[in-house]
Amino acid sequence: MSPARAARIAIPIAAALSGWMESLDAKAFHPARSAYNHLLCLTQTNDIPRRRIDEVLDIVGLTSVAHDRVGKYSLGMGQRLGIAGALLGDPGVILFDEPINGLDPEGIRWVRHLLRDLAAEGRTVFVSSHLINEMALTAERLIVIGRGALIAETSVSEFTSRSAADAVRVVTPMSTTFVSVLHGAGAEVTMDDDGAIVVTGMTSAEVGELASQRSLTVHELVPLRASLEDAFMELTRDSVEFRTKEAS
Amino acid sequence: MTYLTSLEMPGRRYGLSQVLRSELTKIASLRSTMWTLLVTAVGTLAVTILSTSSVRHQGQGFYRGFDPTNQALTGLALGTLAIGVFGVLAVTGEYGTGTIRSSLAAAPRRPLLLIGKVLVVGAIALVVGEVLIFASFWIGQAVLSSGRAPTATLGQPGVLRAVVLSGAFLALLGLLGLGLGVIIRHTAGAVAAYVGITFLLPVLLQRIPGTPSRYTPVGILANSVSAVVPQSHQVSAPTGFLLMVLYCTIILGIGTALIARRDA
Repeated sequence: MSPARAARIAIPIAAALSGWMESLDAKAFHPARSAYNHLLCLTQTNDIPRRRIDEVLDIVGLTSVAHDRVGKYSLGMGQRLGIAGALLGDPGVILFDEPINGLDPEGIRWVRHLLRDLAAEGRTVFVSSHLINEMALTAERLIVIGRGALIAETSVSEFTSRSAADAVRVVTPMSTTFVSVLHGAGAEVTMDDDGAIVVTGMTSAEVGELASQRSLTVHELVPLRASLEDAFMELTRDSVEFRTKEAS
Repeated sequence: MTYLTSLEMPGRRYGLSQVLRSELTKIASLRSTMWTLLVTAVGTLAVTILSTSSVRHQGQGFYRGFDPTNQALTGLALGTLAIGVFGVLAVTGEYGTGTIRSSLAAAPRRPLLLIGKVLVVGAIALVVGEVLIFASFWIGQAVLSSGRAPTATLGQPGVLRAVVLSGAFLALLGLLGLGLGVIIRHTAGAVAAYVGITFLLPVLLQRIPGTPSRYTPVGILANSVSAVVPQSHQVSAPTGFLLMVLYCTIILGIGTALIARRDA
């Protein structure tokens, strides 16, 4: 999915949801201007009161450097200023394009909280991202777009459960016996490289029950949940523009 | 963590007066534009002093047909360059840094944004131009009167017209730079184009018969608009001024069409 394409599709959706919206661009300011003056230029075009500038600077934590030249800012600070600009008009719909790219762990955590808080306030928050596991932590609903077409529009949990069946990983010293018992119970079994058994078609609880009934020793019993990334890869397998070869 | 309590904002009008205020802040909040204008002023006045003091002790024959007003305004050559750069930077400063994307997100009606820029840059260039021209005129006359050279006063026929129109011409040169900035969108390219039109074009046209260089912006400024004594083979001051208005209209018209069409 290219973010540009996602934006092209998400923008009309967002615009339809609300009368107007804001977008974020992390590098859209003059380096010689201060953050305050940058925001001032933006508020003036829309008659937004000046006190709103102080409010958004406070939200993104740039108050103490508001009068410094933006050129001296780090990437993360620039990102924060972009977010401040997007929040100026108190928008009902906000579109973030790759908001955590290039941020440090603290910054990533901050953005994650901010996105959730904005949504909790009743806003619609669109986030386009290539970082799928990050989306699993942040998003409630997913829109997957490949080659300009809508592939999925669903919740995160539904998305992951729909593809890549769950499996259970079992480490046991009695693997030969265990495998025949599992086959007898109707499960499908494959062997991992390290000798562990990967069971599909049974829940981890069912595997555990079976082991205790047959008095089989178990060292490890781990439910393997398909990650959002796995689900994503499976779903978009046919619509990737520039596929890489599987590393062998 | 809760910071926003209301989803309603007061105000939220968006029209020409809002765009004008924003454009004014953009220019006032950058030191580079202030520097450009300061260089315009200092450079122009310095050249004025040099060019008038070099002719104040000449023999009587030299002063036949001498135009003290025109002589005092030769410093405009430098002012021409700086005011054009000021106009260029007002636009390319936004494109080069990406500020244009913020600007257009806040003010999506692109022609309106451009009109705002034209009015603000034009107004500032007009004020700077007139102040500078009047200062050049008076300083120039003061230098000339310290020697044997004849001097001019604003009361003499044609002098006030030459001074006022020259100041306004500087504003038009600023708008020419702005228009080129919108079309080219890169500082270096737009400045090069501006220098080409203002300084190189007259030189290139010199060898062509019929003195076509009299129709170039700097040709008009130096030989028509800032001249009190009419010079042969030159266009008249009002005609020249209107020609320059026409040039700016064309360049800004192209710029308006392009800014509305192109991706920022």
